[in-house]
Amino acid sequence: MIEAHDLTKTYGSKTAVGGVSFTVRAGQVTGFLGPNGAGKSTTMRMIMGLDRPTSGSVTVNGLPYAQHKAPLHEVGALLDAKAVHTSRSAYNHLLAMAATHGIAKSRVREVIEMTGLDAVARKKAGGFSLGMGQRLGIAAALLGDPQTLILDEPVNGLDPEGVLWVRNLVRYLASQGKTVFLSSHLMSEMAQTADHLVVIGRGRIIADAPVKDIIAGTRQTRTLVRTGESHQLSALLAGNGVTVDQSEPETLTVTGLEPRRIAKLALDNGVLIYELTPQVSSLEDAYFDLTKDEVEYHSHLTGGPAAAVPATAGK
Amino acid sequence: MSTTTQTSPAPTRSAAAARHGLTFGGVLRSEWIKLWSLMSTRILILLTLVATIGVGVLTAWVRYNILDSMVAGAREQGIEPSSDMLEQSMPPGSGLDLYNLPNAGLQVGILIFGALAVLFMASEYATGMIRSTMSAVPRRTPAFLAKAIILAVVSYVITTVAGAVTFLLSLPMFQGLGVDLSWSTDGVIYSVFTGGLYVAGVALIGLSLGTLLRNSAGGITVLVGIFFVIPIASGFASLVPGDFWKYVPQYIPSEAGGRFLAIGEIDAYIDPWQGGLIFLGYVLLFLVPALLVLKKRDV
Repeated sequence: MIEAHDLTKTYGSKTAVGGVSFTVRAGQVTGFLGPNGAGKSTTMRMIMGLDRPTSGSVTVNGLPYAQHKAPLHEVGALLDAKAVHTSRSAYNHLLAMAATHGIAKSRVREVIEMTGLDAVARKKAGGFSLGMGQRLGIAAALLGDPQTLILDEPVNGLDPEGVLWVRNLVRYLASQGKTVFLSSHLMSEMAQTADHLVVIGRGRIIADAPVKDIIAGTRQTRTLVRTGESHQLSALLAGNGVTVDQSEPETLTVTGLEPRRIAKLALDNGVLIYELTPQVSSLEDAYFDLTKDEVEYHSHLTGGPAAAVPATAGK
Repeated sequence: MSTTTQTSPAPTRSAAAARHGLTFGGVLRSEWIKLWSLMSTRILILLTLVATIGVGVLTAWVRYNILDSMVAGAREQGIEPSSDMLEQSMPPGSGLDLYNLPNAGLQVGILIFGALAVLFMASEYATGMIRSTMSAVPRRTPAFLAKAIILAVVSYVITTVAGAVTFLLSLPMFQGLGVDLSWSTDGVIYSVFTGGLYVAGVALIGLSLGTLLRNSAGGITVLVGIFFVIPIASGFASLVPGDFWKYVPQYIPSEAGGRFLAIGEIDAYIDPWQGGLIFLGYVLLFLVPALLVLKKRDV
């Protein structure tokens, strides 16, 4: 269980994380989603006590991380795949980490085997590929068999087999009643792995809900329309909260209007449509929908109405 | 790279067996593993041992030659120099003392152990290892203290062994000259056991610099500045007219520390124990801010 209360981190005048509060519960995989620079890594570092919050607090299993008697048994973290001395072998790196908590060598060998590092364990970690580095980081996180796992972009750089392995691993750990907090920029990955999502944008929490609620909450339906007279159709459709995007010639994406009414409008005006496909709402849509709101919210604050709303054809 | 990954995860087999939690003994073991698991460190420490002895024996040989020519000069004049006469021609601080031969190669140890200590911390910042270290030891102070203890012990032991071996190897040279030099000569044992303290102190200053600056090159540069450049600069200070500047150089870190290694009193000069205390003060002057900064700063 991770509990953040009004967690804030500022660097000079720049706010990296602005007063976020959320709870990550045990027994499920919680995804931490947000664009680059949204404050995900900073938040995770504050949980681990590496960065000091400017204000607010965060506890893991009821205590600030640093106050635990056996930190590695409480929380395992993969924050940065490069948190390893480049000249030291993977085995010795894990051995040094394990020694702090009196963790046995047998456990070191076990996590090496689990993460598929056997062949390279005696080689210098500096020569590892991104994927190997990720595996070593995950091995270090698992070392203390912790109650809580914090993984920052764990599938970054992994091959498809590794991605599947991480997915199965975190699902298994959550099923064992452990707390898993996982960040990723791959929204499709989140849809398959996470039960719950915390979405962050510009250092603020935009959404904190089960994955299925977030997908269901996507308000507007989108429809793909193909027509030879795209300019004429755009002009007819646009306005009254309807958004039309043209991604390629003769292809429009219409948001805010049902397919039936698009077809009716086209028929009344004699425009030929040769494809009309409703777009299934996905986590990706939900995510863009959420972050678009965030952009609008900010544009209102800065007094530039509608200026930041992207690609709207007409008003 | 072929990696076979278990697709069915079974991560919790033996981990729960015996949980000791985070202990200072464990942190010490961890830092010990870190030091010795780097090939570069092992080679560097071995090299330091060899180089300290080498430079020490070379220095002894230079002093032997000077003494030898003095004895030869005396014999030409028909005087058979006695042990007392030789000792009088080598007043303390003249650079010809023989009791301090164990520390003759000390400058090598100061440079290498100082640099090694800077690297021990700064390389963790350079590689990102520091985040792993501070995740395992989130209170941070124990990790710093463990590094300090290990550096101090290793540099003390290596320097002491090197000093003893240097003296052992130099001893036969002087026995032919009729100089009364042995393990029981005043200051020999003292030299063997204090040289390492000085080097350990330099290593602690190096560790502190590595922590404060988080940068290997910067830390080593400052260290060399303190122990090799300031002494040269302070030599010029004594050229300034007036008495005041003549007394300043003895208080710089390298002079105060060096004085601690000597025996006997010198007019208008600090005593060895005072030198030791001043040097200890310098060590704390770097160590305490480093510890405070390490505790507060984001990693």
